[in-house]
Amino acid sequence: MKNFWYLFSAYTIIWTALWAYVVYLSQANRALKQDIEALQAQLDNVIAGNDASREGGV
Amino acid sequence: MAVGQRNGRPVNLWPGWYAMLTYVAMVAALWCIFVYAPTEKAQGIVQRIFYFHVSSALTMFVAFFVVFVASIIFLWKHADWWDHTAMSAAELGVLFCTLVLITGPIWGRPIWGVWWTWDPTLTLTLVLWLIYVAYLMLRADATDPRRARFAAILGIVGFIDVPLIRWSIEKWRNLHPEPVIVQSGGTTGLPPAMMLTFLVSLAAFLLLFVFLLRQRMAIARRRHELEVLRHKVDEALFG
Repeated sequence: MKNFWYLFSAYTIIWTALWAYVVYLSQANRALKQDIEALQAQLDNVIAGNDASREGGV
Repeated sequence: MAVGQRNGRPVNLWPGWYAMLTYVAMVAALWCIFVYAPTEKAQGIVQRIFYFHVSSALTMFVAFFVVFVASIIFLWKHADWWDHTAMSAAELGVLFCTLVLITGPIWGRPIWGVWWTWDPTLTLTLVLWLIYVAYLMLRADATDPRRARFAAILGIVGFIDVPLIRWSIEKWRNLHPEPVIVQSGGTTGLPPAMMLTFLVSLAAFLLLFVFLLRQRMAIARRRHELEVLRHKVDEALFG
Protein backbone atom coordinates (compact mmCIF):
# COMPACT_ATOMS: atom_id res chain seq x y z
CA MET A 1 0.00 0.00 0.00
CA LYS A 2 2.66 2.47 -1.08
CA ASN A 3 1.47 6.10 -1.04
CA PHE A 4 -1.66 5.19 0.93
CA TRP A 5 -1.45 8.38 3.01
CA TYR A 6 -1.52 10.59 -0.08
CA LEU A 7 -4.72 8.89 -1.24
CA PHE A 8 -6.22 9.04 2.27
CA SER A 9 -5.33 12.75 2.65
CA ALA A 10 -6.79 13.71 -0.73
CA TYR A 11 -10.18 12.04 -0.10
CA THR A 12 -10.34 13.23 3.52
CA ILE A 13 -9.77 16.84 2.43
CA ILE A 14 -12.37 16.59 -0.35
CA TRP A 15 -15.05 15.17 1.95
CA THR A 16 -14.26 17.53 4.82
CA ALA A 17 -14.46 20.56 2.50
CA LEU A 18 -17.71 19.43 0.87
CA TRP A 19 -19.27 18.54 4.23
CA ALA A 20 -18.23 21.88 5.76
CA TYR A 21 -19.75 23.73 2.80
CA VAL A 22 -23.06 21.83 3.02
CA VAL A 23 -23.23 22.59 6.78
CA TYR A 24 -22.45 26.28 6.09
CA LEU A 25 -25.24 26.46 3.46
CA SER A 26 -27.71 24.73 5.74
CA GLN A 27 -26.96 27.03 8.72
CA ALA A 28 -26.97 30.19 6.58
CA ASN A 29 -30.32 29.18 5.06
CA ARG A 30 -31.85 28.53 8.50
CA ALA A 31 -30.52 31.79 9.97
CA LEU A 32 -31.84 33.82 7.03
CA LYS A 33 -35.25 32.16 7.26
CA GLN A 34 -35.47 33.10 10.96
CA ASP A 35 -34.36 36.69 10.24
CA ILE A 36 -37.00 37.04 7.50
CA GLU A 37 -39.74 35.68 9.80
CA ALA A 38 -38.70 38.04 12.62
CA LEU A 39 -38.56 41.04 10.30
CA GLN A 40 -41.93 40.14 8.72
CA ALA A 41 -43.49 39.95 12.20
CA GLN A 42 -41.93 43.33 13.08
CA LEU A 43 -43.30 44.84 9.87
CA ASP A 44 -46.79 43.46 10.58
CA ASN A 45 -46.66 44.97 14.09
CA VAL A 46 -45.52 48.35 12.80
CA ILE A 47 -48.25 48.40 10.13
CA ALA A 48 -50.88 47.37 12.71
CA GLY A 49 -49.61 50.08 15.11
CA ASN A 50 -49.75 52.73 12.37
CA ASP A 51 -53.32 51.70 11.44
CA ALA A 52 -54.42 51.82 15.10
CA SER A 53 -52.95 55.28 15.67
CA ARG A 54 -54.57 56.50 12.45
CA GLU A 55 -57.99 55.19 13.60
CA GLY A 56 -57.46 56.72 17.07
CA GLY A 57 -56.66 60.05 15.45
CA VAL A 58 -59.97 59.95 13.53
CA MET B 1 -35.24 20.11 3.31
CA ALA B 2 -35.30 23.86 2.67
CA VAL B 3 -38.78 25.37 2.66
CA GLY B 4 -39.62 28.84 1.37
CA GLN B 5 -42.67 30.85 0.36
CA ARG B 6 -44.03 31.70 -3.05
CA ASN B 7 -47.21 33.81 -3.35
CA GLY B 8 -47.76 33.24 0.36
CA ARG B 9 -47.80 29.44 0.01
CA PRO B 10 -45.06 27.20 1.42
CA VAL B 11 -43.06 25.39 -1.29
CA ASN B 12 -40.17 22.97 -1.19
CA LEU B 13 -37.08 24.63 -2.61
CA TRP B 14 -35.54 21.30 -3.42
CA PRO B 15 -37.17 17.89 -3.76
CA GLY B 16 -35.85 15.15 -1.49
CA TRP B 17 -35.50 12.70 -4.34
CA TYR B 18 -32.79 14.80 -5.93
CA ALA B 19 -30.77 14.89 -2.71
CA MET B 20 -31.19 11.11 -2.47
CA LEU B 21 -30.08 10.67 -6.09
CA THR B 22 -26.94 12.74 -5.41
CA TYR B 23 -26.20 10.71 -2.29
CA VAL B 24 -26.61 7.39 -4.16
CA ALA B 25 -24.38 8.63 -7.02
CA MET B 26 -21.66 9.64 -4.54
CA VAL B 27 -21.78 6.26 -2.79
CA ALA B 28 -21.65 4.50 -6.20
CA ALA B 29 -18.65 6.66 -7.21
CA LEU B 30 -16.78 5.77 -4.02
CA TRP B 31 -17.57 2.07 -4.49
CA CYS B 32 -16.30 2.22 -8.09
CA ILE B 33 -13.13 4.10 -7.07
CA PHE B 34 -12.10 1.92 -4.14
CA VAL B 35 -13.56 -1.49 -5.08
CA TYR B 36 -14.38 -1.76 -8.80
CA ALA B 37 -11.60 0.19 -10.57
CA PRO B 38 -8.30 -1.67 -11.10
CA THR B 39 -5.08 -0.30 -9.63
CA GLU B 40 -2.96 1.48 -12.21
CA LYS B 41 0.35 -0.36 -12.70
CA ALA B 42 2.80 2.57 -12.94
CA GLN B 43 1.39 4.91 -10.27
CA GLY B 44 -0.25 2.44 -7.88
CA ILE B 45 -3.17 3.36 -5.59
CA VAL B 46 -2.41 7.08 -5.61
CA GLN B 47 -3.75 7.20 -9.20
CA ARG B 48 -7.25 6.81 -7.66
CA ILE B 49 -7.06 10.52 -6.78
CA PHE B 50 -7.57 11.06 -10.55
CA TYR B 51 -11.31 10.27 -10.37
CA PHE B 52 -12.21 13.09 -7.96
CA HIS B 53 -9.42 15.44 -9.10
CA VAL B 54 -10.56 15.47 -12.76
CA SER B 55 -14.27 15.41 -11.80
CA SER B 56 -13.66 18.48 -9.58
CA ALA B 57 -11.82 20.20 -12.45
CA LEU B 58 -14.64 19.56 -14.96
CA THR B 59 -17.29 20.64 -12.43
CA MET B 60 -15.24 23.81 -11.85
CA PHE B 61 -15.29 24.51 -15.61
CA VAL B 62 -19.09 24.02 -15.67
CA ALA B 63 -19.47 26.39 -12.68
CA PHE B 64 -17.41 29.13 -14.32
CA PHE B 65 -19.30 28.63 -17.59
CA VAL B 66 -22.53 29.23 -15.65
CA VAL B 67 -20.95 32.44 -14.23
CA PHE B 68 -19.99 33.49 -17.77
CA VAL B 69 -23.48 32.94 -19.25
CA ALA B 70 -25.40 34.29 -16.23
CA SER B 71 -23.20 37.43 -16.13
CA ILE B 72 -23.85 38.17 -19.81
CA ILE B 73 -27.61 37.78 -19.33
CA PHE B 74 -27.50 39.88 -16.13
CA LEU B 75 -25.75 42.76 -17.94
CA TRP B 76 -28.32 42.47 -20.71
CA LYS B 77 -31.55 42.05 -18.71
CA HIS B 78 -30.60 43.44 -15.26
CA ALA B 79 -32.62 40.69 -13.57
CA ASP B 80 -31.58 39.78 -10.00
CA TRP B 81 -32.12 36.06 -10.67
CA TRP B 82 -29.17 35.97 -13.09
CA ASP B 83 -26.99 37.90 -10.67
CA HIS B 84 -27.82 35.39 -7.92
CA THR B 85 -27.05 32.52 -10.32
CA ALA B 86 -23.67 34.00 -11.31
CA MET B 87 -22.63 34.76 -7.73
CA SER B 88 -23.67 31.31 -6.47
CA ALA B 89 -21.92 29.51 -9.34
CA ALA B 90 -18.76 31.58 -8.75
CA GLU B 91 -18.64 30.52 -5.10
CA LEU B 92 -19.04 26.86 -6.13
CA GLY B 93 -16.43 27.26 -8.87
CA VAL B 94 -13.96 28.56 -6.29
CA LEU B 95 -14.82 25.62 -4.00
CA PHE B 96 -14.15 23.03 -6.73
CA CYS B 97 -11.08 24.93 -7.96
CA THR B 98 -9.72 24.82 -4.39
CA LEU B 99 -10.23 21.04 -4.36
CA VAL B 100 -8.36 20.79 -7.69
CA LEU B 101 -5.48 22.91 -6.35
CA ILE B 102 -5.25 20.78 -3.18
CA THR B 103 -5.67 17.30 -4.65
CA GLY B 104 -3.33 18.03 -7.60
CA PRO B 105 -0.21 18.56 -5.44
CA ILE B 106 -1.15 15.60 -3.20
CA TRP B 107 -1.25 13.42 -6.32
CA GLY B 108 1.81 15.10 -7.88
CA ARG B 109 4.12 14.76 -4.86
CA PRO B 110 4.64 10.96 -5.04
CA ILE B 111 4.61 10.95 -8.88
CA TRP B 112 6.63 14.08 -9.78
CA GLY B 113 8.62 14.36 -6.54
CA VAL B 114 7.45 17.95 -5.90
CA TRP B 115 4.34 19.47 -4.33
CA TRP B 116 4.14 22.35 -6.80
CA THR B 117 5.80 23.44 -10.01
CA TRP B 118 5.13 26.52 -12.13
CA ASP B 119 3.83 24.34 -14.95
CA PRO B 120 1.57 26.40 -17.32
CA THR B 121 -1.53 24.33 -16.48
CA LEU B 122 -1.01 24.62 -12.72
CA THR B 123 -0.19 28.33 -12.94
CA LEU B 124 -3.23 29.10 -15.11
CA THR B 125 -5.46 27.16 -12.68
CA LEU B 126 -4.08 29.21 -9.78
CA VAL B 127 -4.73 32.39 -11.79
CA LEU B 128 -8.31 31.22 -12.41
CA TRP B 129 -8.78 30.67 -8.66
CA LEU B 130 -7.42 34.17 -7.91
CA ILE B 131 -9.71 35.79 -10.53
CA TYR B 132 -12.85 34.29 -9.02
CA VAL B 133 -11.72 34.90 -5.42
CA ALA B 134 -11.43 38.56 -6.51
CA TYR B 135 -14.94 38.26 -7.99
CA LEU B 136 -16.30 37.03 -4.63
CA MET B 137 -14.47 39.81 -2.76
CA LEU B 138 -16.03 42.33 -5.13
CA ARG B 139 -19.44 40.80 -4.38
CA ALA B 140 -18.94 40.88 -0.60
CA ASP B 141 -21.25 43.93 -0.45
CA ALA B 142 -24.25 42.48 -2.27
CA THR B 143 -26.38 45.63 -1.88
CA ASP B 144 -24.28 47.84 -4.17
CA PRO B 145 -25.62 47.51 -7.77
CA ARG B 146 -22.38 48.92 -9.28
CA ARG B 147 -20.40 46.09 -7.71
CA ALA B 148 -22.78 43.57 -9.28
CA ARG B 149 -22.08 45.06 -12.73
CA PHE B 150 -18.30 45.19 -12.22
CA ALA B 151 -18.34 41.61 -10.91
CA ALA B 152 -20.35 40.48 -13.95
CA ILE B 153 -17.68 41.97 -16.25
CA LEU B 154 -14.95 40.23 -14.22
CA GLY B 155 -16.94 36.97 -14.38
CA ILE B 156 -17.06 37.22 -18.19
CA VAL B 157 -13.43 38.27 -18.72
CA GLY B 158 -12.14 35.72 -16.18
CA PHE B 159 -13.66 32.88 -18.17
CA ILE B 160 -11.03 33.44 -20.90
CA ASP B 161 -8.64 31.53 -18.61
CA VAL B 162 -10.71 28.31 -18.91
CA PRO B 163 -9.99 27.55 -22.62
CA LEU B 164 -6.37 28.57 -21.93
CA ILE B 165 -6.12 25.84 -19.28
CA ARG B 166 -7.59 23.29 -21.69
CA TRP B 167 -5.18 24.43 -24.40
CA SER B 168 -2.18 24.27 -22.01
CA ILE B 169 -3.00 20.64 -21.14
CA GLU B 170 -2.81 19.71 -24.84
CA LYS B 171 -0.20 22.02 -26.36
CA TRP B 172 1.83 23.72 -23.60
CA ARG B 173 2.73 20.75 -21.48
CA ASN B 174 5.49 20.52 -18.92
CA LEU B 175 4.85 18.17 -15.98
CA HIS B 176 1.05 17.98 -16.12
CA PRO B 177 0.01 14.79 -17.97
CA GLU B 178 -1.57 14.93 -21.43
CA PRO B 179 -5.34 14.33 -21.75
CA VAL B 180 -6.26 10.67 -21.18
CA ILE B 181 -10.05 10.72 -21.16
CA VAL B 182 -10.46 11.99 -24.73
CA GLN B 183 -7.27 11.98 -26.79
CA SER B 184 -6.58 13.34 -30.26
CA GLY B 185 -8.52 11.33 -32.84
CA GLY B 186 -11.39 10.77 -30.39
CA THR B 187 -9.81 7.75 -28.68
CA THR B 188 -9.44 7.28 -24.93
CA GLY B 189 -6.41 6.29 -22.89
CA LEU B 190 -8.53 4.75 -20.13
CA PRO B 191 -9.45 1.05 -19.90
CA PRO B 192 -13.26 0.45 -19.77
CA ALA B 193 -13.43 -0.12 -15.97
CA MET B 194 -11.51 3.11 -15.28
CA MET B 195 -13.62 5.02 -17.82
CA LEU B 196 -16.86 3.81 -16.19
CA THR B 197 -15.54 4.78 -12.74
CA PHE B 198 -14.62 8.21 -14.03
CA LEU B 199 -18.05 8.73 -15.64
CA VAL B 200 -19.85 7.72 -12.42
CA SER B 201 -17.63 10.13 -10.43
CA LEU B 202 -18.26 12.94 -12.89
CA ALA B 203 -22.03 12.34 -12.80
CA ALA B 204 -21.95 12.41 -8.98
CA PHE B 205 -20.02 15.69 -8.96
CA LEU B 206 -22.36 17.32 -11.50
CA LEU B 207 -25.41 16.24 -9.50
CA LEU B 208 -23.77 17.65 -6.37
CA PHE B 209 -22.99 20.89 -8.19
CA VAL B 210 -26.64 21.41 -9.21
CA PHE B 211 -27.79 20.53 -5.69
CA LEU B 212 -25.37 23.01 -4.07
CA LEU B 213 -26.15 25.68 -6.68
CA ARG B 214 -29.84 25.56 -5.85
CA GLN B 215 -29.10 25.75 -2.13
CA ARG B 216 -26.69 28.66 -2.60
CA MET B 217 -29.19 30.50 -4.83
CA ALA B 218 -31.85 30.11 -2.13
CA ILE B 219 -29.48 31.94 0.25
CA ALA B 220 -28.85 34.72 -2.28
CA ARG B 221 -32.60 35.09 -2.84
CA ARG B 222 -33.31 35.20 0.90
CA ARG B 223 -30.59 37.83 1.47
CA HIS B 224 -32.26 39.95 -1.19
CA GLU B 225 -35.67 39.35 0.42
CA LEU B 226 -34.21 40.41 3.78
CA GLU B 227 -32.91 43.67 2.31
CA VAL B 228 -36.34 44.44 0.81
CA LEU B 229 -38.04 43.73 4.15
CA ARG B 230 -35.55 45.94 6.04
CA HIS B 231 -36.31 48.74 3.62
CA LYS B 232 -40.07 48.26 4.17
CA VAL B 233 -39.66 48.29 7.98
CA ASP B 234 -37.61 51.51 7.79
CA GLU B 235 -40.27 53.10 5.59
CA ALA B 236 -43.08 52.00 7.94
CA LEU B 237 -41.20 53.31 11.00
CA PHE B 238 -39.78 56.56 9.68
CA GLY B 239 -42.00 57.32 6.68
